[in-house]
Amino acid sequence: MNKQSLRATIAKEFTFLFSLPALIWPLVFLCVPLATILYLSVVSGTVPIISFHKYFQLIDWMHTRIIMRSLILGFGTAVMCLVCAYPIAYFFAIKAGRFKNLFLFLLMIPMWTNFLIQVYGWFFLLEYNGLINTFLLKVGLINEPLYLMNNMVAVFILMIYCYVPFMLMPLYTILEKLNIHLLEASSDLGASPMQTFMRITLPLSMPGIRTGTLLVFVLGFGEFAIPALVGGGKYMMVGSLISYYFLVVRDMGLGAAFTVLSGLVLIFFSFCIYLILGVWCLRDTKEEI
Amino acid sequence: MKSIKLERINKSFNGELILENISLTIPQGAFFALLGPSGSGKTTLLRLIAGFEQPDSGKILLGDEDITHMPINKRRINTVFQNYALFPHMNVFDNVAYGLRLKKIPAEDIERRVIKILKAVHLEKHIYKAISQLSGGQQQRVALARAIINEPEVLLLDEPLAALDLKLRERMLIELIDLQSELKTTFIYVTHDQFEALTVSDQMAIMNMEGEIEQVGTPAQIYEFPNSVFVAQFVGTTNIFKGILHRSADKDSISIEGLGNFLVSVPAIATWAQDGSTAFMSLRPEKIEMSKKPLEGFSNQLRGTVVAIVYHGRSTQYNVHLSNDMVVRVFEQNEEHFPKDVVDYNDEVYLYWQKDNVVLLEK
Repeated sequence: MNKQSLRATIAKEFTFLFSLPALIWPLVFLCVPLATILYLSVVSGTVPIISFHKYFQLIDWMHTRIIMRSLILGFGTAVMCLVCAYPIAYFFAIKAGRFKNLFLFLLMIPMWTNFLIQVYGWFFLLEYNGLINTFLLKVGLINEPLYLMNNMVAVFILMIYCYVPFMLMPLYTILEKLNIHLLEASSDLGASPMQTFMRITLPLSMPGIRTGTLLVFVLGFGEFAIPALVGGGKYMMVGSLISYYFLVVRDMGLGAAFTVLSGLVLIFFSFCIYLILGVWCLRDTKEEI
Repeated sequence: MKSIKLERINKSFNGELILENISLTIPQGAFFALLGPSGSGKTTLLRLIAGFEQPDSGKILLGDEDITHMPINKRRINTVFQNYALFPHMNVFDNVAYGLRLKKIPAEDIERRVIKILKAVHLEKHIYKAISQLSGGQQQRVALARAIINEPEVLLLDEPLAALDLKLRERMLIELIDLQSELKTTFIYVTHDQFEALTVSDQMAIMNMEGEIEQVGTPAQIYEFPNSVFVAQFVGTTNIFKGILHRSADKDSISIEGLGNFLVSVPAIATWAQDGSTAFMSLRPEKIEMSKKPLEGFSNQLRGTVVAIVYHGRSTQYNVHLSNDMVVRVFEQNEEHFPKDVVDYNDEVYLYWQKDNVVLLEK
């Protein structure tokens, strides 16, 4: 075997080495932590015996309520983000013409700001003597300041504010690819603007709606910083309870079991959303939209 | 079927005038072709009729009804789009049924009509297929079926065959002609392809780069009697000679610098043609007789050298270099397998034509 063909053989046989980083990364940072959590949730005590008693401890009203609260927060945020983001994405992608990149840029700038600065920015707006209350008092719409901070209203406002981009981007991407001639063809065939929207635009943007809804739902489900910062500490979320078990109570088994349980709930509901929204786009939308 | 009448239409985009003072009548039941080079505004004109755009000024009449500002979905006009614009999330049936469903027609009627129309365009085997499973030609037929099922007064076709290969295009052209004569719907067919326009239409309008209509007429009128150098050159192939007209009682002639005097016949309607006025002579390549020896019976003769031979199959194009450095194109039918008189490169040839076969043009 001469030198050249040896080199060729080596190159052929060992090129897979280049893909190793891509394999090692999820192994070390995804599979190992997941396995650890699973292990911790079923094995506890000094003698390693598999038991599910940590899971049975979780079956009570308090844990159910926290999981339901996170579900509602995630789902509510997703729905409201969709309502807010769809018109914006539609306007940017279809109506804004050559200014669309500028609009998109302006929308993205606040996202690069530090999260805490964004939250404190909202404090000025929402607090008892904040900008919104001052404005409404000056205009005369209210007689005494509204309680906008430290409750669910503030939580949802900030959730929407922080998660709208995750809805906007997939929607914009899909609407930008929408062939304008399809909308023209629809009205040419006798459809009113509303009919065109319901029969063409909405079904064709369903993949974007689905991606955005799932993204916001999953992220919103795990959110605990916003409820902690502007919810006035009244609302325990899944994320905050997990950190409470691990870092305050230091019950690794319980924390791991709750993590696994809430993860399963999240997967189940994500799958439901995926299926429900999928029914809309069951028909072939993969080809050129 | 109704007529379309455009009255003094102007349209500009971003300050650029696309259509200038267009007045045009498209008779009811006509197969009307709108022919022009890319950028001549013919698609814009079509979009005005369909309602996708509004004219800056002027009126559009469908029959006697002013539809200039009527919403798109209220016009009884349907369009076959250049890229078909089929709805990708619907199958063939749903695409074709789209217009009828909007009209709230009973489901069984819709089914009957859709199947009937799909049979007419030879798609009965593909009724429930997804659009992505169809070939370009089949998609074209779906687009056609989707438009004509609504029984429009006027059907607009925007370069509908541009994406198809030559054989398929020729077949679709014949099918379009058959379809039109069966439906009697007014067809307005936009194209930049003069072959398509000449083939399908019974009337056509030629648009120039300034967004104006140069000439309206039947395909034969346009081809044989163009009214400008632009039309003569755009529709078909021609040779243009520039010269000075000489008129006298018994004969008219044109003198071309470096070539000499040639007899022409000046039609009575050409009022611009005065003695001494500048004129253009359009001479179609197939109307020229070519011979290696001088011929009898022709009053007009040119001599030149063959500089290029382009073989087209049924005919051959010879480029003949003249004494004034002009190159004239000549088409000769390839009538025989073994022609006696083979013309080759650098051969000296004589060109002849009848004076009635040239067209005199003012500009």
